[in-house]
Amino acid sequence: MDNPYIRLTQEFNDGRLRAILASGQAVVLYRLAIMSKDGDWILREEAETLAHVIATLARHGARYRYGAPLDLRWLAHGWSSHLEFQEGGLRLRCDFVTRPPRVSPGALLALWEAPVYKEVPVVSLPVLAEIKKTNREKDYAVIGELARKMEDPRLQALHSRSARDLMRLFAEQPAVVAEASGERPLLSRIGQGREEIERLLDEERRALMRKNEDRLDRYLGAARRWGADWPRLSKELSGRPLAEAHEMMVARAAELLPCEP
Amino acid sequence: MSERRDEFLSDEDLDLENLSTEELEAYWRLWLTQAQGTNDVDQASYSHGVFDRDPAVSE
Repeated sequence: MDNPYIRLTQEFNDGRLRAILASGQAVVLYRLAIMSKDGDWILREEAETLAHVIATLARHGARYRYGAPLDLRWLAHGWSSHLEFQEGGLRLRCDFVTRPPRVSPGALLALWEAPVYKEVPVVSLPVLAEIKKTNREKDYAVIGELARKMEDPRLQALHSRSARDLMRLFAEQPAVVAEASGERPLLSRIGQGREEIERLLDEERRALMRKNEDRLDRYLGAARRWGADWPRLSKELSGRPLAEAHEMMVARAAELLPCEP
Repeated sequence: MSERRDEFLSDEDLDLENLSTEELEAYWRLWLTQAQGTNDVDQASYSHGVFDRDPAVSE
C-alpha cells in the first residue's frame, strides 16, 4: 500500500520486528475510520531499535518536536517522543512510546511474541481499545466499533460500549459475562436493564477520561522545567543532523526532565 | 424491520470495510492531503503521547 505511514513502518521493521503501528493509523488498517493525520508506534524497548528508528528518521530529514528523547531512560517510564518531517507535500508526524498507557506487561509482551499483521504489524484489537481509553470523547466511539470486531466474547464483554450489545451477549453467554465482571464491574449489573447499563457506561467513560487526565497531569507537571527550556533548545537543535540533535536532547534532558514522572 | 443497534461511527466510516485495498489507499491519501490544510492550526498540539502543547510555538 502506498501510504507514508505504512512505508515508514516497513522501514522501522527492516530486518526484524521493532515497531508496531498503533492508534489512528491502526484504526484505518482495521477499516473503521480515517481520523488521524499523525502516525504513532509502539517500539521495542531496546537500544538497537531506537538507534535504527533514529537512523531511519534521519534519512527522511526528521527533526525533534517537543517531547522526551528517543532514549530508554525516559521511554521505559512511559514518556513519549515526537518527531516530524515533510515529504511529498505532507507533514508526517511520528510519535513513539515503548510503554503504551493501560496496557499490561503481559499484553505488551504478547504484542511482540504474536504480532497482528494488517500488511504491517499493528496493535491487537484489545490493546488498541486500551490505548483509545483517552480523555477524548471520540475515542470511545472507536472502542465501541473495535469491540464489535473482537471474536472472543470475553473480550467483547470487556470492551463493548453498547448497552444493547452487552444485553445480547449476556443472554447468549451469561457465564462468560459473569466471569468478565471481575475485571469490569458494570457487567455484574446487566440484569438491571438498558437504561441502567447506559448510565453505567457513561459513568465508566467519564471515570476513564478523568483517570487519563490525571496521568497526563503527572507528566506535564514533571516536564515543567523541560518545557521552559524547550524554546531555547529547539533553536539550538534547528538545522542540525538528527543524530547530533538527539545527543543534545539527551544531554539536556538528563538535566531537566526526570525519567520518572 | 431490522433490529436497531447502538451506533458509534458514521456510515461513511463503516463503509471502509467495503473498499478494495486500492480504494482505501486512494481515500486515505486524499484524506491525509486534505488534512494538511489544518497544519498551521495544530502546529503546537499533540494527538498522542504525554505532551499537550509545544511551548516553542506561539499562540
